[in-house]
Amino acid sequence: MSAGSIVAVASVNLAVALLLSPLLEGVMRKLKAALHSRKGPPVIQPYLDLAKLLGKEDLRSAPGRLYALTPALTLGAVAALALLVPMGGPPPLAGAGDIIVLLYVATASAVLLVLTALAGRGAYGAVGSSREIMVLLSVEPVLAVALVVGAVKAKTLALDGILAWQVGHGPTISMAVAGVAFFLALQAQVGKLPFDVAEADQEIMGGPLIEQGGPRLALFRWALWTKQLVLALLLVELFAPWPRSGVLAIDLALALVKALVVLVLVAVVDTVNPRLKVEQTMGYFMRVAFSSLAALAFAVIGM
Amino acid sequence: MSGDDAGARVAQAMQEQLGAALHRVAREPSDTVRLVIDRAAVRPATLALRDEFDARFLITVGSDRRELGGGFGVEHIFSLDGDHLYVMLDCAVPENDARIDSITPLLPGASWAERELRDAIGVVPEGHPDPRRLMLADDWPDGVFPLRRDVPYDLQPPPATGLRPPFADAPGGATVLAMGPFFPVLEEPAYFRLFVEGETIVGCDYRGFYNHRGIEKLGDSRLTYNEVPYLAERICGICGFIHSTCYCQAVEKAIGLEVPRRARFIRTLMLELERVHSHLLWLGIAGHILGFDTVLMQTWRIREPVMWLAEEISGNRKTYGMNTVGGLRRDLRAELVPKILEVLAVVERESLAVRDAIVGDTTLHARTRGVGVLTREWARSICVVGPTARGSGLAIDARVDHPYAAYDEVVPRIAVQGDGDTWARLLVRVEELLESIRLVREAARAMPTGPILATLPEQIPDGRTGVTLVEAPRGEAVHYVMTGGDNRPYRWRVRAPTYPNLQAVPAMIERQTIADVPIVLGSIDPCFSCTERLESVDVRSGARRVWTRRELERVTRSVAGKGGAR
Repeated sequence: MSAGSIVAVASVNLAVALLLSPLLEGVMRKLKAALHSRKGPPVIQPYLDLAKLLGKEDLRSAPGRLYALTPALTLGAVAALALLVPMGGPPPLAGAGDIIVLLYVATASAVLLVLTALAGRGAYGAVGSSREIMVLLSVEPVLAVALVVGAVKAKTLALDGILAWQVGHGPTISMAVAGVAFFLALQAQVGKLPFDVAEADQEIMGGPLIEQGGPRLALFRWALWTKQLVLALLLVELFAPWPRSGVLAIDLALALVKALVVLVLVAVVDTVNPRLKVEQTMGYFMRVAFSSLAALAFAVIGM
Repeated sequence: MSGDDAGARVAQAMQEQLGAALHRVAREPSDTVRLVIDRAAVRPATLALRDEFDARFLITVGSDRRELGGGFGVEHIFSLDGDHLYVMLDCAVPENDARIDSITPLLPGASWAERELRDAIGVVPEGHPDPRRLMLADDWPDGVFPLRRDVPYDLQPPPATGLRPPFADAPGGATVLAMGPFFPVLEEPAYFRLFVEGETIVGCDYRGFYNHRGIEKLGDSRLTYNEVPYLAERICGICGFIHSTCYCQAVEKAIGLEVPRRARFIRTLMLELERVHSHLLWLGIAGHILGFDTVLMQTWRIREPVMWLAEEISGNRKTYGMNTVGGLRRDLRAELVPKILEVLAVVERESLAVRDAIVGDTTLHARTRGVGVLTREWARSICVVGPTARGSGLAIDARVDHPYAAYDEVVPRIAVQGDGDTWARLLVRVEELLESIRLVREAARAMPTGPILATLPEQIPDGRTGVTLVEAPRGEAVHYVMTGGDNRPYRWRVRAPTYPNLQAVPAMIERQTIADVPIVLGSIDPCFSCTERLESVDVRSGARRVWTRRELERVTRSVAGKGGAR
């Protein structure tokens, strides 16, 4: 890719990830309300939430420049993730990193949130942080295995290579199984029920987010919504990129529609489940991780 | 009834046990045995009741009888459930030596009652394991006992300093996680200090009574007999009718007033209607605590028509204002009966759908089975009540054990589960929801005609006592009234169901995780406001602009009225 087209695709990715994510969150809320027999807030409510929170006073519960910056860094980490993920076209920063970098960047936002919470030194933040880390540790292997399946198939760790291989070869059993595992992990990655143990409002009152308010809360929320959309896009682009027209606008629109379907599923699962406990969550993903090894086995024998 | 036999047996056994320490036995009213005993005999008497008669402790009434010439009175009230009998151990305590042996070492369930006795009347329970205050505020001065009759109801003593009640220390290695005094999911102030190792609870300490409003004091000193029902109704925002019925029954029983049959049936119908909406409300909150808001939204939608029904019957969604001593102030209009049956048919159908959805939910099982176990033995010794007791295999229900209103004719089936965990309590309440729907239906179909109010005597005789139970959705309420000469009770005592149930919580959350605490606590359906006897409101409104009543009605009803999930 030329420098110009990298900039162009990067701008598209950033715009889609950052500007559309509140809209999709709004759609998910509306769907949840419908399943509750509620009217629900307007679809644009998340934008209004952000506008309101960003306009508030910036109160911080711990000193230090780093602490002041963590919300922005978190959103930045998610934006970086958006640049590593294909959205209709090839990932704009494909040259800068492979799936291993992607895994690290995907983790960065959660780690930043935990660091922020621990700096606040509150008991609930501490409990929430430890839960966040435990969930992260149990979900990460699932994500890794799912991505490695693609790498084994395409014989490359580069995302654009895996994407190209997928587009060229069509559906395979191993990638389908890996896609399901990735979907389950997505539910926990974006903190939805039954895996929202880290926030668990009724138990620990928002956990790591308990001491965040105003613009800081806005940025953390925005980062979470963006991560939700970006991971959904990664799922559909990596595990179901067909049909591929080659025209960026058409492929992007298709990817967004598919991501919407994924997020609708996420919202439905979120609505019909009570919350698991942290050890139950970990046990669950332990089992998912072992099952996803089957996908790896399929991939190795070429299925 | 076998009450007479059992009463005679209790008197006989006590005579043998206590000898001269038993001063007098009274049978007034007929379902109550009052044993006037020497205060030194309180422990042997309690032991005999506990071991020989399987008596269940209800509450302690402390009263200031100095103006009647008797120092302080301490009455421990027990229930002999199978025999439909109440037993009172009545001990006189002299003013200059205000002490009595504590019965808490024999009956852990008496702990709060005796701490309250010390706080409110100033009679010290000797040998009580917990010397701390229970209900007095942290800055209330020592030596001022609010329920003594020479303390005016509006006394505002200068705040004392340095009287902070000591908190229990965390065991070594454990950290303290504060749940309260304001913890959002509990909705009311209560302070649980959880001692945790990692996520595991190794102990806890409770401090509550932040909102004590002195309702009993008002009943003894300011209001008249027929004003108290309205105050009693405001003890709880959920089971108000239960408290007003219970108070009225206590007065009626004390003075031997026969309530007309129609009034008793209407009371039964309203009580059961209140149970229906309360069970649905609780089910929703339990779902919410587990993050299962779909259950909350659906059960509250199903519940809403029950509230409208109450409004059509009484003029109010809650706090009906229908009860008065001797019967009711407001009749049930005949044309409402078919409507009640119609609404209940819908509520029943939708409740069954919710039940079927819940019972098969494996994630729900994972969160509630084996969680917050209360063993049968411990349930018995803490004397828990209602679904908390029935979930632990104790088949007690005031509607059956001490029939009141029309429950002698409309007989409830008791729901019992043996596991003692959160799931068992949930199953009990779901079963009771359906049973209550059946009972409303039966009461409506069998509704007799006739008057709804008995005439009160010109002068209500003083010095009579009445104890009654009314089964609230979360357990029985106890009201005790001793009549007074100035057209108001001399002493009015209330024990809400959460009072004993909350005392069982520390045992239930031990060795559980932090994630379990809210649902275990929620599973007893705690009502801190009843326990502390203040008013609570169950209306949560997020409206920011000013709405007219009509507008609000239109908005809420247009959504909920559609019925069924969209």
